[in-house]
Amino acid sequence: MRHRRVILFSLFGVVIAVTVGLLLLWALGYSALEGYAYLLEYSLLSRTALFSTLSRAALLVLLGLSASTAFASGALNLGQSGQFLIGAMAATVFGLFVNLPAFLQIPLSLAVAALAGMLYASIAAFFRRRFNMNELIVTLMLNFVADYFTQFLIAGPLFEEGRQSPASPAINASGWFPVYKGFDTGILVALLAFILIYLLWNRSKTGYEWTIMGQNSIFSRIGGCPNEENFTKAMLVSGALAALAGALVIMGGIQHRFMPGIKANYADDGIMIAIVANNKVVATAIYAIMFAIMRTGAMGMELETGVPLEFVHVLTAITVLFVVASREYSQYLIDRFSAFLRARRISSRIEDYAGRDSSGSMD
Amino acid sequence: MGLWIEILRSSILAAIPIALASLGGAFTYYTDVFNVALEGMMLVGAFLAVIGSYFTGSWAMGLLVGALGGLVIGIIFALFAVYMGADHFVTGMALNMFAVGGTTFTLRRLFGIKGALVSSRIVGIPSWNIPLLSKIPVLREVISGHPFAVYIALLLIALSHYLLFRTKWGLRLRAVGEDAQVLDSLGVSSRRIKTLSILGSGILCGFGGAFLSLGYVALFAEGMTGGRGWIALSVINVSRGRPWGLLLVSLVFGFFEGLGMSLQGMGLAPQFPQMIPYIITIVAVYVYSRRERRVKAA
Repeated sequence: MRHRRVILFSLFGVVIAVTVGLLLLWALGYSALEGYAYLLEYSLLSRTALFSTLSRAALLVLLGLSASTAFASGALNLGQSGQFLIGAMAATVFGLFVNLPAFLQIPLSLAVAALAGMLYASIAAFFRRRFNMNELIVTLMLNFVADYFTQFLIAGPLFEEGRQSPASPAINASGWFPVYKGFDTGILVALLAFILIYLLWNRSKTGYEWTIMGQNSIFSRIGGCPNEENFTKAMLVSGALAALAGALVIMGGIQHRFMPGIKANYADDGIMIAIVANNKVVATAIYAIMFAIMRTGAMGMELETGVPLEFVHVLTAITVLFVVASREYSQYLIDRFSAFLRARRISSRIEDYAGRDSSGSMD
Repeated sequence: MGLWIEILRSSILAAIPIALASLGGAFTYYTDVFNVALEGMMLVGAFLAVIGSYFTGSWAMGLLVGALGGLVIGIIFALFAVYMGADHFVTGMALNMFAVGGTTFTLRRLFGIKGALVSSRIVGIPSWNIPLLSKIPVLREVISGHPFAVYIALLLIALSHYLLFRTKWGLRLRAVGEDAQVLDSLGVSSRRIKTLSILGSGILCGFGGAFLSLGYVALFAEGMTGGRGWIALSVINVSRGRPWGLLLVSLVFGFFEGLGMSLQGMGLAPQFPQMIPYIITIVAVYVYSRRERRVKAA
């Protein structure tokens, strides 16, 4: 019952957000419906479009799961963008200096990236456990550090001679994800990660303890859960997922090299997705696909109707606000309404009682 | 000597946007609103200030429009977080996202540019020499001759201190953070005070952003706030929201940012000096957590 209500009001929020987006486009003098139609056409209605939406969705699923795993267990890891960059850099370095057969190269490269992401996330986890330092600020600040550090690497030690702008050389071809008729097999990594994370949350002891810790950390401590360890685990898993997304960017696609701006807005989107999905695993995947459709289709929309593709950033933010607000406000209204009904029932009962009482005394 | 004076001068300039944003955040700190939208408020302020200055040709209009931009984000924040019961963190993050999207979208739509808006039509905040100070040798070079908004910022800090700690309104504001229900039971709407504190933080952050784009430089670049809103959040924690305290902490940040900029000219790879403010923030969080532990132990 409660589940269905959440879905209903989330849908309601999405509808409102889409409508607000339409009104906004219309007010700015664009042909709004046409824009939306192109948005869908360029993200779903051809094989290339669909596959590129899926590739993007793979990244967003990983980053969304990274954020939701952290948030749902009460760890405020906002370091997705830093962990993503470190993961991408680890995959780049591994791909540049190691050259094994593909069946070894690809899994090892992913493992190295995931480890690097864990290591980077563990800095904040360590500071939190050792010095009780707020992980929110620390992870955020480490994002900037990672950004500048990777910029330094591609402009200095890893710079490919002869290029106009900073970038690393391309990684060894054995580390590239095979592409079948336009389908980037890196997508399967995200699928696998999704299944594992789903099982972790729903079928494992750690997942159960994370759930309890996220809802009430004092209760879980009293219940005997090792909160400290679970916090570290959540941070590490979160870091590894974000780093995997980074590795996917390097190992998939066309460029296969670390270039400035590869992080795009993926990490911010991942955080938004987790928030709008209320940190639920399946919902995270659904919203990740929705965001991927919007992001991919935005380019087509810009091409056909001239709406700047940045419009989609505004649209996603509006969606998040309205979905969250409609979910939480509806709960508030329902609570109030049921309280009102209860109060009326009680008061009518009191009146009945009083009425019977007074009529009794009349006799 | 000349170099040090240069560093000190630039540290004051770099400190002001952070000081203004954290002053704004101090109001919400006392009303117990988890305001993570500081960054977004600043960004919108910085952007609208440049737009205002560009179209009206007046820096004063720029400042005004920038502060109003922060206010608008504050209004949305209050609407969702206070009146619709949405989670503060969630609302703030969505608004940060909205600020990034909205500014880049408008930049594209109005000017067709990606990246940065640089134009001679953007009028920066004029510098101002303080009459008496400009006679004193060393101090003159450090303190005098800044964009005059620096002095307005100092005034705002003094004013906020008075407001927070010497007025009835300030007492109520701080009481909301301690126990909102007590206020409600006494007939003072805690919602209204929370809303006012959010609006105040919006205006101040907008002003801080405006100072960044019109006082520090005279241009707008996408995402130019560069985490200053988050740095401001940690400044508030370290100084516990005391206006003079956060000015001091902001000056320390400004000093390291200025130091970083001077180091960039010395042949070091530019990326390392650029990391300094963020690493200093982590150090500041460390210092705060140490002190917190001592307070708890005592």
